[in-house]
Amino acid sequence: MLKKYPTIKFISTRAGWYFITLLVAVTLNFTLPRLGPNNPVDIIMGQFGSGLSAHEAQQREERYLMEFGLIRMKGGEIVRDGEGRPIRTSLIEQYGSYVGMLAKGDLGTSFRSSEKVWDIILRALPWTLALQIPTIILGWFIGNLFGAYAAYRRGIFDKALFPMALFLNSFPFFVFGMLLVYAFAILFRWFPPMGGYDLALMPGFSFAFILSAAHHYVLPFLSIFLIGVGGGAIGMRTMGIYELGTDYIKYAKWLGLKESKVLFYVFRNAMLPQITGLALSLGTMVGGALITEMIFSYPGLGMAMLSAIQNQDYAIIQGVTLIITVSVLIANFSVDMFIAFFDPRVKAGIQMGKGG
Amino acid sequence: MQNKIFDAVNCVRSFGHGKKFMTAVDDITFDIKDGEIVSLVGGSGCGKSVLAKMMLGLYKPTSGTFLYRGKPITDHKAHWREVQSVFQDPFSCFNQFFTIRSQLKAAFGIYKEKPSDKEMEERVDRALLAVNVKPSEVEGKYPFELSGGQMQRMLLARIFVLRPQVLIADEPTSMVDACVRANILDYLMKLKHELSMTIVFITHDIGLAYYVSDRLFIMHKGKIVEQGPPEEVTTSPKSEHTVQLLEDIPDVNREWIKRA
Amino acid sequence: MSVIFEVENLSLHYLTRFGNKIHAVNDVSFTMEQGEILGIAGESGCGKSTLVNGLMGLFIPPLHPTSGDVRVGGESLMNRSPKDIRQNVLSRKVSMIPQGAFNALNPVRKVKDIAADVMAAHMKGMDRKHIYERLKERFDLFGMETDKVLNSYPIQLTAGERQRSVIGISTLLNPQMVIADEPTSALDVTTQKVVIKLIFELLEKKIFSTMIFITHELPLLRHVADNIAIMYAGQIVEKGTAEQVVFDPRHPYTKALMGAMLSADAEQKTRKPTAIEGAPPNLAKPISGCRFAERCPSVKPECKNREQVIRIVGERQVRCEYAE
Repeated sequence: MLKKYPTIKFISTRAGWYFITLLVAVTLNFTLPRLGPNNPVDIIMGQFGSGLSAHEAQQREERYLMEFGLIRMKGGEIVRDGEGRPIRTSLIEQYGSYVGMLAKGDLGTSFRSSEKVWDIILRALPWTLALQIPTIILGWFIGNLFGAYAAYRRGIFDKALFPMALFLNSFPFFVFGMLLVYAFAILFRWFPPMGGYDLALMPGFSFAFILSAAHHYVLPFLSIFLIGVGGGAIGMRTMGIYELGTDYIKYAKWLGLKESKVLFYVFRNAMLPQITGLALSLGTMVGGALITEMIFSYPGLGMAMLSAIQNQDYAIIQGVTLIITVSVLIANFSVDMFIAFFDPRVKAGIQMGKGG
Repeated sequence: MQNKIFDAVNCVRSFGHGKKFMTAVDDITFDIKDGEIVSLVGGSGCGKSVLAKMMLGLYKPTSGTFLYRGKPITDHKAHWREVQSVFQDPFSCFNQFFTIRSQLKAAFGIYKEKPSDKEMEERVDRALLAVNVKPSEVEGKYPFELSGGQMQRMLLARIFVLRPQVLIADEPTSMVDACVRANILDYLMKLKHELSMTIVFITHDIGLAYYVSDRLFIMHKGKIVEQGPPEEVTTSPKSEHTVQLLEDIPDVNREWIKRA
Repeated sequence: MSVIFEVENLSLHYLTRFGNKIHAVNDVSFTMEQGEILGIAGESGCGKSTLVNGLMGLFIPPLHPTSGDVRVGGESLMNRSPKDIRQNVLSRKVSMIPQGAFNALNPVRKVKDIAADVMAAHMKGMDRKHIYERLKERFDLFGMETDKVLNSYPIQLTAGERQRSVIGISTLLNPQMVIADEPTSALDVTTQKVVIKLIFELLEKKIFSTMIFITHELPLLRHVADNIAIMYAGQIVEKGTAEQVVFDPRHPYTKALMGAMLSADAEQKTRKPTAIEGAPPNLAKPISGCRFAERCPSVKPECKNREQVIRIVGERQVRCEYAE
């Protein structure tokens, strides 16, 4: 039936594959904490259970067991056997309840603070997005401009820019972040070394708060931005030089096309892989943010993840991992769609029924 | 009785499914004997390159049997110790970042046990001399520093280094000009005579095939439409496709296309 | 017959990064009449492709003119700005058909857009709709499904359609001169014949009339060209009619080239092709004597020191004082 509409067929097959990937990711996310010889509740209890009375410990354990769906529930009450012990669920039942909760958008509850994981993520996410999205896009844009100019002009500009961009791009970004902190926060004291805002202020739309947030923004911004500029410039320069040397560019020159047209050819074609790169880095930004945020103690997802790892707060770790997985999948899917509809080589393939 | 190097019986190789299904090699039966030079001749898309890849063990037949010395090809590395190939574009066969000499030496990597360093150096030197290149001429040189013709010779030098028993030459002369082409044909003959190598030569130019081969296979749409000794095939062609191939060569002595 | 294309003592060089000059084309002279097809043959690296750029007046660094002149219809192409050449010469006066049609077409542009870009670049103020109409008219001559081809991306076309499209695009503006640089070298013999037939059709339809055809296949030139010029190491070493050069070569290099040719013809069977040993000279170094001396089978001691000039032998030009 769909054969008549190759485009719809292509999109739906692709989407189907991504859905399967998502299921696999969810399953892995479910399985991994349960792979060890002990269930996570035992580990947690082993760490936090000491010093509690037997009754408190049992209550605590039952709460964790509930959270993990390890015991059978009925009408909000724990189903107990004759001796008053909760009845354990099978792995399949656990999986079912996990997926069921996810479908309702429930990522569970933090073990530590009894807060909903989703609330914790929602509180941290804006910081991560505010730090990453403008930085990545701006870095990409400026990097590409430099790269394009270097490819076209070559000469001195290129000779100076290229090693610099290469240096920036190959610098491990956490080392770069730490150097920035050392130089501008500790040595010169121009910027605060850590945090997203002055903790003495209440988050809100006050002038003082925004100023403080901006002040705290500079160093993490630079640490991602400069590396992004380097990456964008190198990619664009390399692609641009490659395109300039292709036979069809030579042919266009031989035919007497205007220089502006020839450049349009070059950069349009060089842009395709660059846009792919942008979409991918936007997708992986949540994951990529982790370390930057840890270095600068920035109150985003990365910090949430770090403290969850330190506290062995499985619910948060699972929640954040899932968010990262989903954003990577969405980015990959958008790249697939973008390439399919903007690169005629692929588009032609789909319309001839070779896609999917 | 001569040993059979390759032995194909009702060999088929197809690709794809449904609408995209196509048969590249269609029910071919042939054998190639030890020490022969056989040419596979045909236009683009006739299946000659797929057949070459089957000889290298890169494709398995979809149906029928394809044997090398009486056995199916299973172990690639062992197979490539005995069967080697040269391709059209020598530049894509060499790594631009290493010297030619080091890459010729690296060819020994295919052996289970490498000869001593001294012996390897000597064999590389002898191989270079075999293709009329003084070892000093390429000393320290990288692939991009040589011309296409010289690089094509380097590919052949690699064969002289490895001395395989069988050589699959896939259009080795289609990207070089006439003078270099004659050179390469000379070296192929030398490989045959000095190392008694079995050579499978793949080309679209029946004129070229005529000069080197003991036997010609004319291919069209996956089938061998005619085979036999070159004299017989070129003087009294039986298949219309052979006639076509002969006619399409611009020969100086024959009418080719009339200009209005 | 009127002279349409004149090349006078043209020398071209590349300037390397280190400031060295590579004299890729040296002292090339010929004239062409309206309707003539001149074949240029030689081995790779002999300067054929460099010459093409020079003949269009297109000097993209590192290529520079050393001396000499190129005139189309009496108008010189030398010492003109790249913009002037682009606007007034390329596509209109001199156009070229490149090698390898597949790579010559921008993979992300439809054939009609690639072609329309060429027309737009040379016909100011013509709107896109009008351009497409003109395109369709022209492509109708090529014996293809015009609408399908024009609305396709290069990857959707067969090799033959791509080759026709490239030839069509190169000749859109009815150039006075067409230079075909190895247009068939990447093709198999059957496709080669198809392409040559197409070129002949276009000649017949008077889309263009004068052509330089560059290839390393001498037997092909015998069928395509009226006259043949043989190039060696940046110089023309022999130029005469196709018959003269192919059947009665006088320069030792042309003789050697013919000796290296193959043939499936019955009469030629006993003759094995003979290779020319050695390599052409390094053009980065000044050469004092005959450029072919190193490889010449009939070399004389004085050849290495005496620069050879063109002289007339047996009604054709030969650059060898001993040729008879």
